Amino acid sequence: MLSLIELQCRPWLNGLELLEDLQRNKHTLSTGDKGTDSLLQGGFREGQLTELVGPSSSGKTQFCMQAAASVAENHLGRVLYLDTGNSFSARRIAQFICSSSDATLGQKVMSRISFHTVYDIYTMFDTLQGLEVTLRSQMNVNEYRLRLLVVDSISSLITPILGGSGSQGRALMVAIGYLLKKLAHEHSIAILVTNHTVGAGGEGGKTKPALGETWKSIPHVRLLQSRDHKNSNCTISILKHTSMPSGQTVKTMTRKENQQCL
Amino acid sequence: MEAWRLPLSSSIRGKLISAGYASLSLISSVSSSDLARDVNITEEEAFEILRLAKQSSGSSSCNGSRSLINGAKNAWDMLHEEESLPRITTSCSDLDSILGGGISCRDVTEIGGVPGIGKTQIGIQLSVNVQIPRECGGLGGKAIYIDTEGSFMVERVLQIAEACVEDMEEYTGYMHKHFQANQVQMKPKDILDNIFYFRVCSYTEQIALVNHLDKFISENKDVKVVIVDSITFHFRQDFDDLVQRTRVLSEMALKFMKLAKKFSLAVVLLNQVTTKYTEGSFQLALALGDSWSHSCTNRVILYWNGDERYAYIDKSPSLPSASASYTVTSRGLRNSSSSSKRCSHKLSFTRAISHNGSENCVSIPAFSGLRSTSPRTISSRRRNASTISRSLRPLVRAATVETIETSSASSLVD
Repeated sequence: MLSLIELQCRPWLNGLELLEDLQRNKHTLSTGDKGTDSLLQGGFREGQLTELVGPSSSGKTQFCMQAAASVAENHLGRVLYLDTGNSFSARRIAQFICSSSDATLGQKVMSRISFHTVYDIYTMFDTLQGLEVTLRSQMNVNEYRLRLLVVDSISSLITPILGGSGSQGRALMVAIGYLLKKLAHEHSIAILVTNHTVGAGGEGGKTKPALGETWKSIPHVRLLQSRDHKNSNCTISILKHTSMPSGQTVKTMTRKENQQCL
Repeated sequence: MEAWRLPLSSSIRGKLISAGYASLSLISSVSSSDLARDVNITEEEAFEILRLAKQSSGSSSCNGSRSLINGAKNAWDMLHEEESLPRITTSCSDLDSILGGGISCRDVTEIGGVPGIGKTQIGIQLSVNVQIPRECGGLGGKAIYIDTEGSFMVERVLQIAEACVEDMEEYTGYMHKHFQANQVQMKPKDILDNIFYFRVCSYTEQIALVNHLDKFISENKDVKVVIVDSITFHFRQDFDDLVQRTRVLSEMALKFMKLAKKFSLAVVLLNQVTTKYTEGSFQLALALGDSWSHSCTNRVILYWNGDERYAYIDKSPSLPSASASYTVTSRGLRNSSSSSKRCSHKLSFTRAISHNGSENCVSIPAFSGLRSTSPRTISSRRRNASTISRSLRPLVRAATVETIETSSASSLVD
């Protein structure tokens, strides 16, 4: 009985070891956008779950694809892109990449981005568990290391099961959140998920992030993206961050309109 | 490959086989926790089995070890796949060009606008155009038309189909001069024959139908477009619980996504408009609220600009925002008369017949570009518009509506 407990119990770490682990294994990944990188002091941190919140057509998917392209190109890491809304566009990825490099390099970079579609939360669980098995079996090293996992969007998976009388939906939501965080921590992956906004109720048409209070505690970093439809400028601001004050805002230009490369 | 070949202890091997896991493909299709439960072993052992199974199947198929999860593709392959995806022409070359060649297969596209702007016309036009045979640069598919409002006019479909057949004949005539092409033998009756029409009278029926579509399409593989006219109607009538509505709708959206991807078909959802109260004024927005607006891949908003109809790409992951004008004529959707002067002699060479692949790589002018606008404009279709367009003239998204009886309309916005 005791041996079982000892087997399950994880060894303790001290602060120094944690710091060492942070410096050696947990790097920051560039988002592909200078403004956002400086806002986040370098970009996404490996081992952390970053959430991007924004209303429809505010540029969330563009941001995700840009980040995927950037990590595959600049950090030589693999990227797994889980799509729930058929919104992944390889052509758009190619545009982000080929703005700075030639075609053969482009192919190499593109083949580092894996893409998979997920249409319900149960498939999502299967996919993540499968990923965990693969990551544990093939040592996640150097060239083929998975560095970024994008889920666009997590909210469209969770919304159909949330609400109503039962609390089962909520339980699944928390479970998926913690599975993601576990993956991020154990394999030093940066995870980026997107979430949409809903009306906050009351007057004035204010909006707030979807998925409610329970979800709020799950991501490490929460970013709010909005777009001015008159001049298509995107702004990103920090809603929540584990090591930075919230409320900072930066302008980005994710949408480089009419940029044609291929 | 069979499970007994795995280098495992005999007791575990026995447990595996007695639990029914006889082949490697069966083992690799389950997660480690499921395997542990089914076979009654610890998760660590199950994980070890999975690893071995993956290794030995990886060595036989060679490239299996590279992919992170089953069924994942890399972006480079996706790029080539995307380029060969067919698109359904709208018969209006201006509209096609802002859509990147037409309505894209594998995507869910939402088209919304004020009453009388031509939503149903676009729906009918697409259900006809999807049947343009491959020789003419079309898809040669069939269409499913889900009608919730009862606005599907079969005479109108016949009219558009006849015009389409005429255009095709003209096109093959043109082709005969330049290439050796087969004579198109398509009759307007055939076109009507290939539209599967579902009339839906309540939201329960709508949900049931969406669930049934998967089975229906697997029996009729050549369905290439699903049109829902409109997605909104029943959900605006008798739904008290808005939270439940959001849930049902987002699930339905995921079902459509799945269909679009699985059968590589285009899903076109037509939507109505509503007024929305933001920043002290009432603005025109597509119905069904904020959560729904995330559900579609592409969003096209139709609006009046003066007396001309315009389409605006409001949301798309791969296309820049743009707008184009179009008209609805007796022959269907066409370029608007003002812009067709510019475009009538400019054949759109954008779409080579790429899905025929190796056959020939000659760029053939797309069928939609051949015909310039016919001057005949239906006046009867304008009847709705002329009465309503005064009070409901949207300037995309930012339109302020002067006065509207909002008491009923705005309560539907969540």
